[in-house]
Amino acid sequence: MAGSPDWAPVALHCRSSYSFLRAASQPKELVQRAIELGYQALAITDECSLAGAVKAYVAARNSPLKLIIGSEFELPELGRLVLLVQQHQGYAQLCELITQARRRATKGSYQLSVEAFLAAANSSLSDCLLLWRPASEEAFADYYQQLQQAFPERLWLAYSRHYQANDAEHYRRYVHYHQQSGIPVLAACEVYYHQPDRQPLYDVMTAIRAGQAVSDVVEQLLPNHEFCLRSRAELQRCYPMAWLAAASSLSQRCQFSMSELSYQYPAELVPAGRSADDYLRELTYAGVKLRFPDGLRSDVQEKLEKELSLIAQLGYAYFFLTIHDLVQFAQLRGILYQGRGSAANSVVCYCLQITAVNPDQIDVLFERFISVERDEPPDIDVDFEHQRREEIIQYIYQKYSRERAALAATVICYRLRSAFRDVGKALGFSEQELAHYMRHIDRRDQQLDWQQQLQQQVPQLAHTTRGRWLLQLTEQLRGMPRHLSQHVGGFVIAANSLAQLVPVENASMPERTVIQWDKDDIETLKLIKVDVLALGMLTALGKMFQLVAQFHQRHLDLASLPAEDPAVYQMLQQADSIGVFQVESRAQMNMLPRLKPARFYDLVVQIAIVRPGPIQGDMVHPYLRRRAGLEPVTYPSSAVQSVLERTLGVPIFQEQVIKLAMVAAGFSGGEADQLRRAMANWKSSGELRQFEQRLIDGMLARGYSADYAQRIYQQICGFGEYGFPESHSASFANLAYASAWMKCHYPAAFYCALLNSLPMGFYSAGQLITDAKRHHIPVLPVDIQTSQWDHQLVSLQAQLAIRLGLRLLKGLQGERCRELLARRPSGGYQQLQQLRQLGWSATELQQLAAADVLTKLSGHRYQSQWQSMALAHEQLPLFAQVGEADNDDGALPAPLEYHDIGADYASTGVSLRRHPLALLRESGLLKGCRSAAELPLLRHQQVVEVAGIVTCRQRPGTASGVTFITLEDETGLVNIVVWQATARQFKQAYLTARLLRVRGILERHGEVIHIIAGRLSDGSTALEQHNVHTKRSRDFH
Amino acid sequence: MNAWLYMHAPQLLLDTQLALQTSVQQQQPQILLEGSRVGARQVVQYNQAAAAAGIHKHMTEVTATTLVAELQLRPYQAAQEQRILEQLAQLWYQDIAHIALYPPQGLLFEVASVLRLYGGFHGLLQQLQQRLQEWPIAYVVASGDTPMRARLLAQAGHSVLSNDARTVQQAVAQLPISRSGLEPIHITRLQQLGITTIGALQQRHRSALGKRFGRAMTQYLAQLQGELPTPQQYYQPPAQFSQQLDLLAEVASWQQLLFPLRRLLQQLEAFLQVRQLSVRSILLQVKHRDGQHTEQPIRFAHPVWQLKDMLGLTQLQLERQQLSQPALELGLRAQRLEPRQLQHGDLIQASSEVAAPTQPLGELVSRLQARLGQQAVQRSHSQRDWRPQQAQQWQLWQANTLPAMVMPQLPRPLWLLEPEQPIDPQQWQLQWGPERLASGWWDDAPCQRDYYVALDQQQRQGWIFHSQQGWFVHGWFT
Repeated sequence: MAGSPDWAPVALHCRSSYSFLRAASQPKELVQRAIELGYQALAITDECSLAGAVKAYVAARNSPLKLIIGSEFELPELGRLVLLVQQHQGYAQLCELITQARRRATKGSYQLSVEAFLAAANSSLSDCLLLWRPASEEAFADYYQQLQQAFPERLWLAYSRHYQANDAEHYRRYVHYHQQSGIPVLAACEVYYHQPDRQPLYDVMTAIRAGQAVSDVVEQLLPNHEFCLRSRAELQRCYPMAWLAAASSLSQRCQFSMSELSYQYPAELVPAGRSADDYLRELTYAGVKLRFPDGLRSDVQEKLEKELSLIAQLGYAYFFLTIHDLVQFAQLRGILYQGRGSAANSVVCYCLQITAVNPDQIDVLFERFISVERDEPPDIDVDFEHQRREEIIQYIYQKYSRERAALAATVICYRLRSAFRDVGKALGFSEQELAHYMRHIDRRDQQLDWQQQLQQQVPQLAHTTRGRWLLQLTEQLRGMPRHLSQHVGGFVIAANSLAQLVPVENASMPERTVIQWDKDDIETLKLIKVDVLALGMLTALGKMFQLVAQFHQRHLDLASLPAEDPAVYQMLQQADSIGVFQVESRAQMNMLPRLKPARFYDLVVQIAIVRPGPIQGDMVHPYLRRRAGLEPVTYPSSAVQSVLERTLGVPIFQEQVIKLAMVAAGFSGGEADQLRRAMANWKSSGELRQFEQRLIDGMLARGYSADYAQRIYQQICGFGEYGFPESHSASFANLAYASAWMKCHYPAAFYCALLNSLPMGFYSAGQLITDAKRHHIPVLPVDIQTSQWDHQLVSLQAQLAIRLGLRLLKGLQGERCRELLARRPSGGYQQLQQLRQLGWSATELQQLAAADVLTKLSGHRYQSQWQSMALAHEQLPLFAQVGEADNDDGALPAPLEYHDIGADYASTGVSLRRHPLALLRESGLLKGCRSAAELPLLRHQQVVEVAGIVTCRQRPGTASGVTFITLEDETGLVNIVVWQATARQFKQAYLTARLLRVRGILERHGEVIHIIAGRLSDGSTALEQHNVHTKRSRDFH
Repeated sequence: MNAWLYMHAPQLLLDTQLALQTSVQQQQPQILLEGSRVGARQVVQYNQAAAAAGIHKHMTEVTATTLVAELQLRPYQAAQEQRILEQLAQLWYQDIAHIALYPPQGLLFEVASVLRLYGGFHGLLQQLQQRLQEWPIAYVVASGDTPMRARLLAQAGHSVLSNDARTVQQAVAQLPISRSGLEPIHITRLQQLGITTIGALQQRHRSALGKRFGRAMTQYLAQLQGELPTPQQYYQPPAQFSQQLDLLAEVASWQQLLFPLRRLLQQLEAFLQVRQLSVRSILLQVKHRDGQHTEQPIRFAHPVWQLKDMLGLTQLQLERQQLSQPALELGLRAQRLEPRQLQHGDLIQASSEVAAPTQPLGELVSRLQARLGQQAVQRSHSQRDWRPQQAQQWQLWQANTLPAMVMPQLPRPLWLLEPEQPIDPQQWQLQWGPERLASGWWDDAPCQRDYYVALDQQQRQGWIFHSQQGWFVHGWFT
């Protein structure tokens, strides 16, 4: 065969980018290059890892190239080892070995001793082939007999030649090894990158690993660019034909393909003797009785049957049963949860109580359940209460054991900033220089990419060799994997040991393990991932329900909240949405009065519309105009009408855009699926561009206008960044409605529970408390005699009030404070000394006094602190001699109001006293300024001046050049719009003012009032004069 | 009587840097940043242009650069600022004998005696200011009855200059507690108690404060009042060798100067001996009749301290020099003093026999350099580089250069042809190769060549290569 015309090259030792900075090409690039060069086989052998295997499999699938699965290991005593898989059994053996080596070491490394390797080799690597590059002649002499024994007829010496100075010596040594031992030699063709032009990137990676500049690590660099995939002719020049032939015949022995992996569901959920489909049907119909007490409508029944038969046809019953089992457990424990994802919005999931979205409200959604054509696993994410998700995770580990359950991985890739910094440092640029260049890159610029921006603004950079490499290599490094991290909550559960299916390694979190594949790999191999996510709003809702049960004796849950309550929508239409899930941001609050949601589906749209996708695609205004009846609802074709009817002809959701690509541009199901994947990660790969022409041509050919086609493409790009599907929006809308309903009907419980669930959402405790006060809920200060750790609801003159808890104080420990409060005497503390005796530490006493919590015990804040400080220090011997008890000079003067307010902010972030602006106004410092409360009384287009504490500066990526600033005064919030030119002109005040004065034009759209800023001035000195601390603004989130 | 004067230069480092810039450069907004992590650093010093753009102290780097895109940023270097402070002390040492350094930005003067000399603070300040004509730094000076009071006032920017102790005491009492120089944690505590000035602090009973804040607080108060004398470490100018000899008559040539020079070198030898120093370079200064100077630096290739070495080497270097005008005065200043151990890599090596040959070699090189000029003596120096041209570099002889060779042993000719010579490959017989070198993409001399060991027609073994330009011989193996 050797030398014969049908001989084709093989490469048996290729590292991919999944060896993390130890190779410079992606698996896909290696595979494609190998196909171009006519290779018959390619082994991807990342170091102690199969993380790149599935990517390579996808690239090699449907090509003549045989992909061999393998992995390399570096053992200092032995040398470099490459294990290649023959059959399925060998694959499972390799996974086990990698898992062992990884589990012994900390995250990101592995540990494999010679003893451990030889032990594994003698027992459980019988189906793997070993290529060996001995570390030295001594290593060879010491170990060759043991390896020969462990790998009979399965051991080769891996010779690789890269035209280096010691080639001849190297060759002679391998010939000698062979003569000495009889172990055959083969040409292993070690590869670190697919093409020679990747050498610079490889060198830069070497420098990054060393943490030094390329020119400082020259001795670690390779002397040439021969570590690439070489052509057939080049290989024949380079190696003896017999050694090439040996490699070729070895590759014949490797028959395993990733397609053989078949995932098996855990079987224990189905009672013995029942089929999974049968059991799922039973559970579903049991749920029907609960969910539809009045019986099923015939159309819903039909839908349900269709879903069940689809599930049976595709074999997904176990998946639904697994999720059902989890939510059952959650119900048992009283943990709130909610399912979302395309498959979640189904009658089956509703009946299985996986989701609470009533299909009666959004029956349109069932289109995208799971489909036969798309051939993709069903998608269900389940959100659980943030603070209790760990219970669910522990349940999974307990039920399926750690051997069978692990988290999916997330591949952390280089992004622009990290790539630029690392490449720059490797090229010897200083941190300062790099920071300077980075400042010239605006990632929101849609016209110019980052390289063009730099070339335009720092032209001298591209005039130097180093500068040009910086631009080029940064782009090459972008998207290269850096390390594996854990997925937020995606569990893979196997029927048997997971480590036979995929290597498992340690995560950085103790007691967590991750598999070496990410969600795309899992999807490719049709493994099932169960997403167990955490959501703060569920925690808050859970607490709200508890409070309502306790104080109003009414038992609520997500499914039983009264639907479509007009009062709730009326509240939302007035943008009264602080604290309401998903619709509380500034941009959402602006949209609420314009979109005027009046039913559940409007909320679904509302949540999805204030997103980069619809905004970039310029779809928001057409939708609003059509909804307001200012523009006729038309469709370019009836095909499009079928897709867009429910959103008035305007595409809003990700599903619609993909469906449009199919019906309007003629994409096949497979192409549409590729498009969906490309959208999911176009930022890192830029894959989306390949669809642009295809999409636009397709739409033009079908008679759509170029403008319309372009808008659809733009929207796809926007979705790419923050893809938002209708199915998710619907689940979120459900929680938005639930939280809005609580705010509308049980506001005290609403605020109290939200405050107890922080940090979450958009607003700080201070902002929530201010909003509560605006809704006439009495808020009582933290008090050592009555407060608990959490905020409490208390009855106050036939009304519910919120008694703030100690959790508001900065720097206190929850666990400890709960314990200490449990020891509080029933009648309260009698004196300061008693707190100390009952276990409060000196520091804690300080914190309590500073927060003005001890007032009832020891007087005003200064006095309390002075007294508690005396308790803090042990008596100094020096002063004990003096014999004075406490040479106190009498009481300290009481704080001024300004100081009290400032001290409140400093210790709790909130003050229940007067607003600082009220004091400034009283002392005449705000002459000419209108208060927030006055604004509704003023004319549209009137020139006004306002002043307030800056609580938030927001520059949405979607609104080019506009900044929204929120000012707070003693009467409410004022919304300021600052255009870019104004921001530039008054840059200092715009960026740094704590107290901002704004002169501008009042704009009124219905209920919404904005001030378009014309002049900004910094009024912070007024605060500084009085030494008033304010809460810090949230800037540019 | 206020016997203390404190000078505080809040922007010492930046001001000194600005002094070296052109006026156009000085107009550029510039800041110095402190902090280890890029991005989390804070402004510590800033010039007028930066202040005008709204930059203030403690602003974060991110905010500052967003505010002023063309801002020049440099890291703040405490060590450098301290050196500048020492130079400042050295400068003023001519006027005031008792100066204590308060790094990074302060100097304390004990002025009781000099006040009379200069006729009060005004005269003294004028004298101090005069020394700074070439060095425009902004500073605040304040007087005090105790060192601490003077310091607090100056650091707070209050230039209180008075002979009356009470004036100073009152001014200090009004300072905000944030200017007290107490630990930040104590400052915060006091502010939380509503004690916001130093005066308010002094009104509390000291033992009550001590009970709450510990001994540091009582010590602080005692120092403030001057009850606890603060020992000061006064500045001492560094030891330097600089001597002049009046020649009494005009001398026309260097040869004739050797005798007086010998006397000066003798003194230098004594100076070096006492301090266990050696010298790498001296400066000869010749004063002429018209008041002009000629300076002649003498450098030694290795550190020396013995008279015979110094004289012999100086003599050799002066042989080739002419004296432009007759000399009236000869001065000698030692310029590069080093502790004696430093001359070898380490002590052990210096004392062992291995080091013995280096000494004669060093002397030989010193003599060769003296005869032929510094440029003429070079050594081959292996660089860490795969490219042969870059790997073999010649550089000036320096006694202490360590061999930097970390690259693997490679078959290379000892001497590379410069430039390489084109050849006809037909005339050569390849013996071994190729060794493919493709490296150096990161600078302006990337190399891509296939090297071979080959025999020419005379059977000489050469190192030849093939590149895009053709075939060349790059060296010969002996």
